[in-house]
Amino acid sequence: MKLFTRYNRILMIISLFGLLLIGFLFYQMLAYYLDQQIDHDLVEEIMEVKEYSEKGNFYQPHEFEDLIVQYKKIAKAYPSSSYADTVFYNPVKHRTESARYLKTELELNEQPYQILVIASKFERQEQIRNICLIILIPVMLLFALVLMVNRILLKKIWTPFEQLLKNITAFNINHDQPYEPVDMPVEEFRQLNSVLVELSGKVKSDYNEIKLFTENASHEMMTPLAVINSKLDNMLQSNVLGKEDGETLVELYKATSRLTKLNQSLLLLVKIDNNLLQDNEQISLKLLIEEKAVYFQELISERHITLDMVLAEITTSASRQLLEILINNLFSNVIRHNYDGGKIEISLDAEKIVFANTGHNPALDPDKIFDRFYKDHASEGTGLGLAILKQICNRQQYLLDYFYRQDLHTFTIVFNH
Amino acid sequence: MKILIIEDEPGLQRSIAQYLMAEGNLCSVALNYAQALERLDMYEYDCVLLDLTLPDGEGLQILNYLKRVNRAEGVIIISARNSIDQKIEGLSLGADDYLIKPFHLSELNARILAVVRRKSAQGDRHIEFNEIRIDLDAKEVLVNGKVVYMTKKEFDLLLYFVSNKGKVISKSAAVEHIWGDDSDMADSFDFIYTHIKNIRKKLIDGGSKDYFQSVYGVGYKFISS
Repeated sequence: MKLFTRYNRILMIISLFGLLLIGFLFYQMLAYYLDQQIDHDLVEEIMEVKEYSEKGNFYQPHEFEDLIVQYKKIAKAYPSSSYADTVFYNPVKHRTESARYLKTELELNEQPYQILVIASKFERQEQIRNICLIILIPVMLLFALVLMVNRILLKKIWTPFEQLLKNITAFNINHDQPYEPVDMPVEEFRQLNSVLVELSGKVKSDYNEIKLFTENASHEMMTPLAVINSKLDNMLQSNVLGKEDGETLVELYKATSRLTKLNQSLLLLVKIDNNLLQDNEQISLKLLIEEKAVYFQELISERHITLDMVLAEITTSASRQLLEILINNLFSNVIRHNYDGGKIEISLDAEKIVFANTGHNPALDPDKIFDRFYKDHASEGTGLGLAILKQICNRQQYLLDYFYRQDLHTFTIVFNH
Repeated sequence: MKILIIEDEPGLQRSIAQYLMAEGNLCSVALNYAQALERLDMYEYDCVLLDLTLPDGEGLQILNYLKRVNRAEGVIIISARNSIDQKIEGLSLGADDYLIKPFHLSELNARILAVVRRKSAQGDRHIEFNEIRIDLDAKEVLVNGKVVYMTKKEFDLLLYFVSNKGKVISKSAAVEHIWGDDSDMADSFDFIYTHIKNIRKKLIDGGSKDYFQSVYGVGYKFISS
């Protein structure tokens, strides 16, 4: 629920209840006041009755007065009086109306009488209704107006906030453009905005620093590696090497080769992050996969792996370098993690590329395998191959997915998801 | 051959010089931009190995200089910078090849020979080795004048060994020569053995002597005698 919908809803509920309560109390007060007035009139009527009785008459009210006086003979008069609400038949208007009565006992002409004075409340009730309406309608109008103003005002006040939200969403650490500050009229939002500007700047500079560090560190490692490699090459040429020296050299070559790979992979990741790779061109995926299959054929046949390919003629627009790395990594992955005599299934259609392979491992953790440096201990890779794969897919806006089905580790890349 | 090595890292520079001199080349070294210009001013070379990041200047400026004065030297850039843009820039400024650090010296040697051969090629380009003749344009191998059919990888590998004849080539160097960046995926380099075996068999079947020699499981050597 949006903030101001929520705010409006609460405001409306509270206002409505408040209005009802105040209305009820108001009505009760008015009704009480009315009863008091009528009761006062009734007392006056009783006085008239007394006054008339001193002249020996029974007082009868005029027909237009909505008032009735009834006399009833009783045995003995006890001075008392009681007020209450009642309903009576108004003979003048020929209808039943609500009313107030005063009952009292008096001696009239030396005779004890019970006297009942009934006064109609009709006119007064009309008055109350009118008063209520006169008050209620403007209040309701005011209420509606407040709601409307509230809505417009909130919307206006929150517009920069929404812009701010949009800008945060659009903010990408990998992209060149910085977080766009929004012009804020409200102090709190202005604060939020400036905090965000500062934060995004810091995040960006930290990120860039790390990237730069990775790049520089990797670069700096290349020269010593080149020295080591060249020294090894020269050492290899000496004719005095024994079998053990040979084995040592092989190990050293392997170690430097792994370090080199690691460096290159890190550099590649930084480059993909920085979008430093070449522009898009039209590439036939079928051709590319077939080329790579030939390229890797020795590795596949050496281990007696069966390769099954079902490829449709698909052309896509992408960076050639990225796509080559993508296909290379997929191939490397399905070959490297396979067992001798295993199988590889590759399929390509308009929607997706699927690389599936048999392997020693049971299902891998799909949440982790694309993390940098995630690898099982048996693997001799750098642990960056799949991370690079993921990064390329992010860059090309492909969807990369892994699942394990029917003993096959399956990697799917969906083009337009 | 006269080769100028422009490289500021003394360790690497010495190794390169050592390897190339053992091949019978004449090597000069320059540790920085100023020295490099001085050497180039005074002498002519067959090939220049150029590091791009020099302490007192940018290697690409040396390329510019060579181009400006119309020099005939073959130039191979050796650099740790491996972006496509750098490669394109270097090659379009007149470099003949671009080798990314770290590299195997045998790879460097093969590239130097290829560059020099291309530069000095008149008519058909080929390499003769006893009864073996490698035709670089037709990509053909002939033994005693008869064509021996080889796959592209076998051809490249043979050329690589012949270029480094008398040298021990490590398996990793051979694998990297053929598979380049993807060579890491082979957990062992043993499959290079299959290739060597095939080349050997084809050459012997064609009437050649066996020139391949295995060295302590580290690699192979194409013996010259």
